[in-house]
Formats: sequence, structure tokens, C-alpha cells
Amino acid sequence: MKALVCVKRVIDYNVKIRVKSDKTGVETDNVKMSMNPFDEIAVEEAVRLKENGLVSEIVILSIGQDSSQETIRTGLAMGADRGILVKVDDILLEPLGVGKIIKEVCEKENPEMIIMGKQAIDDDCNQTGQIVATLTNYPQATFASELKKNEDGTLNVTREVDGGLETIKVKIPCVVTTDLRLNEPRYASLPNIMKAKQKKIETIESKDLNLDISPRLEVLEVNDPPERKAGIKVPDVSNLVEKLKNEAKVI
Amino acid sequence: MDSTVNIESNHINIKSFVDERIKTFELVLSELEAMSKKSKDYFVKTLTKDNRIDNALLENYQFESHGFAWFETYRIGLRETFNWLIRLKDSNKAAEIDYNILLYSFAEYVSQMRDGIMISQTEIVRLSDIGITKNDFKFADEPNVNELISFGLSNELKKDIVNSLENGIFPNLGLNDETLEMIQDQFRKFTEEEIIPYANEWHLKDDLIPDQTLEKMAELGVFSIAIPENYGGLGMGKIAMCVVTEELSRGFLAAGSLGTRAEIAGELIRLGGTEEQKKKYLPEIASGNILTTAVFTEPNTGSDLGSLATRATLNGSDYTITGNKTWITHGARSDLMTVLARTDLDKKGYKGLSMFLVEKPRGNCENPFPMDGMSGSEIEVLGYRGMKEYEIALDDIKVSKKQLLGEEEGNGFKQLMETFESARIQTAARAVGVAQNALELALQYAKDRSQFGKQIIKFPRIFNKLAWMVMEITVSRQITLFSAREKDNDVRCDIEAGMAKLLAARVAWSSADSALQIHGGNGYALEYPVSRVLCDSRILNIFEGAAEIQAQIVAKGLIAR
Repeated sequence: MKALVCVKRVIDYNVKIRVKSDKTGVETDNVKMSMNPFDEIAVEEAVRLKENGLVSEIVILSIGQDSSQETIRTGLAMGADRGILVKVDDILLEPLGVGKIIKEVCEKENPEMIIMGKQAIDDDCNQTGQIVATLTNYPQATFASELKKNEDGTLNVTREVDGGLETIKVKIPCVVTTDLRLNEPRYASLPNIMKAKQKKIETIESKDLNLDISPRLEVLEVNDPPERKAGIKVPDVSNLVEKLKNEAKVI
Repeated sequence: MDSTVNIESNHINIKSFVDERIKTFELVLSELEAMSKKSKDYFVKTLTKDNRIDNALLENYQFESHGFAWFETYRIGLRETFNWLIRLKDSNKAAEIDYNILLYSFAEYVSQMRDGIMISQTEIVRLSDIGITKNDFKFADEPNVNELISFGLSNELKKDIVNSLENGIFPNLGLNDETLEMIQDQFRKFTEEEIIPYANEWHLKDDLIPDQTLEKMAELGVFSIAIPENYGGLGMGKIAMCVVTEELSRGFLAAGSLGTRAEIAGELIRLGGTEEQKKKYLPEIASGNILTTAVFTEPNTGSDLGSLATRATLNGSDYTITGNKTWITHGARSDLMTVLARTDLDKKGYKGLSMFLVEKPRGNCENPFPMDGMSGSEIEVLGYRGMKEYEIALDDIKVSKKQLLGEEEGNGFKQLMETFESARIQTAARAVGVAQNALELALQYAKDRSQFGKQIIKFPRIFNKLAWMVMEITVSRQITLFSAREKDNDVRCDIEAGMAKLLAARVAWSSADSALQIHGGNGYALEYPVSRVLCDSRILNIFEGAAEIQAQIVAKGLIAR
């Protein structure tokens, strides 16, 4: 089984996000970037499947600027085999555009499992996996918290749903999106970081794919979340209930 | 007055301010270089007797010559901080905080060089001590330099630096290499998750770092960095070593120091061992299967290795080693000792010393030395815990002739000296990591703690301390990385490595002290990690060459170079 792992370069989760002064977006200059943590889980899962002999090759795909090579390289250092960078410059990509590109790459690579994070921590869209499944007409197993390969080649995927855990069986090729509890990604070891330097990353220009990936949405304004107000002390329970009812309007 | 008004209005764009004054920075550096030459000439003239540097004279001028070592340490520190910013600029990565730090470092250090450098808390070296006059510093009064200094020392600039820190923006490490950055990133994660949550507990309980943590570090390749590829290592060089060491030390000094054990033994064997010794031990050290410990120091022999008394006597095909050793770090939980002993009793001083590779069974806390002829007890210490320190006695332990490093007597001191460059660079990186730990703890506390109705970070006496810390940490890091780069390029850098260690150790201590001060009474409580960092940082000025010895080595090297 060949796995295509889609990874996105995002602002590191430790960074305190700052909104640009003109409110068109957030500051990314000199800001630490990392692989989207959910995508990291996807890479880890693919690597574990490969270590267990269930996956034969892992290809990392990222879409972005040249700097996304670093993100791909991290995946290679974790144990993936090779990378593909689809270069886009200066276009605000939306999940639909990303989905179209992934579909193109799938047609070329023919992976049996396309795996990615359930969402990216920057725009929190939670759409790409689903869109890819639609465009490719593959079954989808989203929010995976456990993944097992059956003898007939199908996958059993346990999903975290509101009521508890749901296990579904999907045929391959399929699209899997990963939830937080699927695994704990490894650290790339020094030997593997050195090995990753030798692994190949192929670059494709997005314009050569002749796709319409232009944005459908218009960003009007980006704002900081409102600052947390200072708390108050209430004298007794009835006062608390009164404030919860009338001021906070939560009961 | 005009410039003062400008400064206080704080509408200066720091990037263009610095960019327009690159020539001024270069001028300062060239003036300092000229002064350095003058000072060196002064010492050469003063200390030379019968065409060579006279040791008695050098001792008479110990304070002054060490002052020269510090002056040069500052100068090289500034030069490398300047080069750091230029490289960042060239790769479009320089952020505001980087510019601010460059400016602050020049302003602060040039002022100190002119007015007095605190070489310890109780010793200040002044220009006249090192053969330089006020007149040589006239350039600092010229308007362009003066403007640079007064802006560099302004409260506004320090506030800007700390503003960046508050927003989570730290100075660029200046690695400028994708692989090194990935290494840094991975080891930061590892330290955050596997070291920092437990470090204080290990310290307070005086525990060994758990075996499982050691295993994880071995898997990540910590012990194989410096060992050549054909002996099972990664052959990655000193910069990678510095990056890993700094990150691990940022969590716990002992974590960053585990690699030092492998580094010392690995370098000894790599440089001085026979082919057989290399094949036998290097792969095992690299994989972490063999933990090593350095057995050099004796109760009466610290920095003065020439007076070493442990003796090794050859009887047939075996040596028997007898003597007392102390400050044996990680002595119990280790498998291989590198023992320095005297093989030739007729030769005094450094000659007649030999290095032995002595295997031993691994001990534990209950039974530290399960080997005939070897006994020892733990030395309880303030900090630097996690590996444990021991005093040991070797009583007629038998070692095969084949275990003599290089299988040739009398090379022990030379073999050890060859590892000093690496050990100093690595120790400097440890110090930078500890200082960074102090900075981050202080920053967090200063943000969280409110007094008099505001966060204490808003008070000048608090943010000044933070700005000072991050500035000096940056200078220390850049001089450390510079020595590492030189070493990787096979350029002799013993002096620069000594400077890096000298400065970084002082910075670690002053940063820890300031960090604790920012914590107030809470910092004095054992439950706050900063109290541990204070204890840990204190050792850095002592081990791997005490500050005084380090300054002596640097001074001697500079004057003789």
C-alpha cells in the first residue's frame, strides 16, 4: 500500500499570534513555522504502518512556497521516503484549491491511502480531506483515532464522534484524516535527519497543472480575539446565579 | 541634544538606524583591533625576559593579563555578534530584536571596555591595567559612535528588546542551515516534553536521570554526534554538537552534559587510540551501550595535572593502577573509565602521564562500584545533579597492556590536551543553554507576577535585567558557534573556545542570579525551578577549567600567538 501524506506549513503552535496592523492577516515575518501538528500525526501513522510492513512507500506532499521544503524534509526525517512540493506563489489557497491539486497528484502517484490532519491549526477549515474524497470519489474516514488494516486490504478506522467511538470499514484507495489521539509523533533522530538530506523532493509548478485554484472567499478583516476582562468577586450564591442569568446570560 | 530627543521619541526605525551605521560598527571593530594589538605589545614587552615569556613575570601580572584575556573576549564577542547580524541580513532573516541586540551589545561592551570590565564580581579590570589609555578610546566620543552608544544604552531600546521577548520573539540563533535548524527544532521538542517536566524532581531527589530517558537520548543519536561514520557515529561536527547541547542544557544541565562524557572519551579514543581500540569502543559509545566517565582529577590535583599521583605499574602484560580520584561525574552508572595515571615515576610534571581505558561493571546507587579494588563514595553537591559525583579509590586494579590508550606510554597529557578544544566549546554551549533556561523562567515570571497594579516586567529594573540577559546570551552563543565553526573547518581555535567558555559561564551565572532576583522570595524556594538553575549555573565557572585558569590559558595563548 502506497501512502500519500499531505502536510501543511503553519505558524508553530507555540508562537503568540500577532495580527498585522492593517488587519489583512497575521504576521508571518521571522515567525517560527512548523508542520501542522495534525499532519505530523498523519506522518507518524504512515511511518508506523510502514514499520509494520503494511505500507510500502510514503510520499509527503506539501503545497506552498519554497520554504515548505523544510516541512517536507521534517516528514522525510521522521521516516517518509520522498517528497513532492507543489509550488504556489502569492495565492491565498483555500481547501478547494488544495483539494484539486491533491487530486492531480493522486492521479500521477496512485496512492492507496491519502492521509492528512483533520484540520490545520492556522485556518481551522477542516475541509481538505473531505474535498479530496469528493473530488477523487474515494471513501473517507475522518477524525481517525485508530487505524487497522484488514486482511482483505480494507481499513478499519475508529473515529471519535460525539457519542463515543465509531468504527467504520473503508475500501482502499481512501482518504483518512487524523485526530489528536491517533498516536504521538516521534522526534526525528539525528541519523534520520542526516538520511533525510539524501531523499528526493520533486517540485511541481502549480501553474503547470492548469487548475483553477483562485480563491472563492474574500477576507474582509482579521482581528485579535477580545481581551479577557478582569474577574469580580461575588458575595454569595444568589448573587452569582443572578449574574450568570442576567449578565453572562449562560443560564 | 538632538540625538537625545530622537532617542526618547522612539520613532527610530531600528533596522534603518543600524543599516545606515554599518560603517560605524566596522570602525568600532577596527579601533578595538588596534587597541588589542597595542595591549598585546604591552604585555609581550612587559613579560618577556631573555627572549621568552617569563612565567614569574606572568604571575606578577596575572590580574592584568587576565584582564587582557577578557578585553579580547569582549572584542571577539562583538565581532562575531556583528558577523551574525550581517549573515542574517544577507539571508533576509534579521528581525528587529536582532538589530536591537547588536546595538545594545556594542554600546554596553564598548562602554565596559572603556570604563572597566568586571572579570568577576570582586574584580574590575581597567584600561590602564592592560596598557591602553583613555586617549585610545577617543573614537567613542566622536558623534557617530557616541550616538550609537547612547541609543544602544537607552531604556527605550531595552524595552523594545523585552517587548519582542514578551511576544515570544527571541533572537535568531544564526544557524543558517536547514539541517541544523531541524536538529534544533527536534531537540527543543524532546527537551520540552521529556526533560523539562521532570528536571526539578530529579534535582530535588538527587536522582540519576532515568535509564529510559538515557535510552531515548541514545536513540536520537546524542552520543554519536562527534564519532566518525566509519566507527558507527554520525561525524556531524561541533556546530551540531553545540545545537544539541544547548537545547538539552536548556532543560537540565546534566542532560546536556551526558553528551560531554561521550565526547571526551570519544575524542580521546578517536585522536589517541589504536585502530583496535577505536573499533572496539567507538561504535559502543556512539550507540550509548557504553557510558563513559572521565577519571582525571585527584584530591590534590585539580587544574595542576602535572602533580598527578595515581600510578600505573607494568607487571608482565598488565598494568596495576593505584591512586585516589575525585569529582568523577557519572562514576557509578558507567562502563568505561578513562583514567589518567603516572607510568613513569622518574618523570615529573606532565611527562610520564598515560591514559588508560578501564572497563568496569555498571553500578547503581546502592552498590556504586561492584568491582574488586575499586571503592568510592558520593560527593553531595549543590547542583549539576542527575549523574552524581564520586570520590573513588583504585587499589591495584589490573588492566591489560592493550588498554593503554595508543599503546604507548607518556602521551596521556598530550592526548587529554587534544580534547580540550572540543570540551570547552561543548561546555560553552552548555552554559548558553543554562543561561537561556534562566532567561525564559525569568521572563515568564515577570509576565505573570503583578505588583503595584502592574506586571513587574513593565518596571525598568526588571526589563533591564531581561534585556541584559538576552543580549549577553546572544554574544556568548555567537562566540561559541564561531569556535565550533572554526573547529569544524580544522582551524585551531583553542583560544576562542576558551573565550567562549569564559564568557558563557559568567553569563550563565549572572543570568541565573538575575532570574532568581526577578522571582524575589519565590525564587529562593526549592519548588521554583529557577533555584535549581542557580545551583546548576554555578558549576560552569568551575569545571572544564575554572574562570581563572581559563583566563590564564586565553591570556597566555594570546600573548604567545
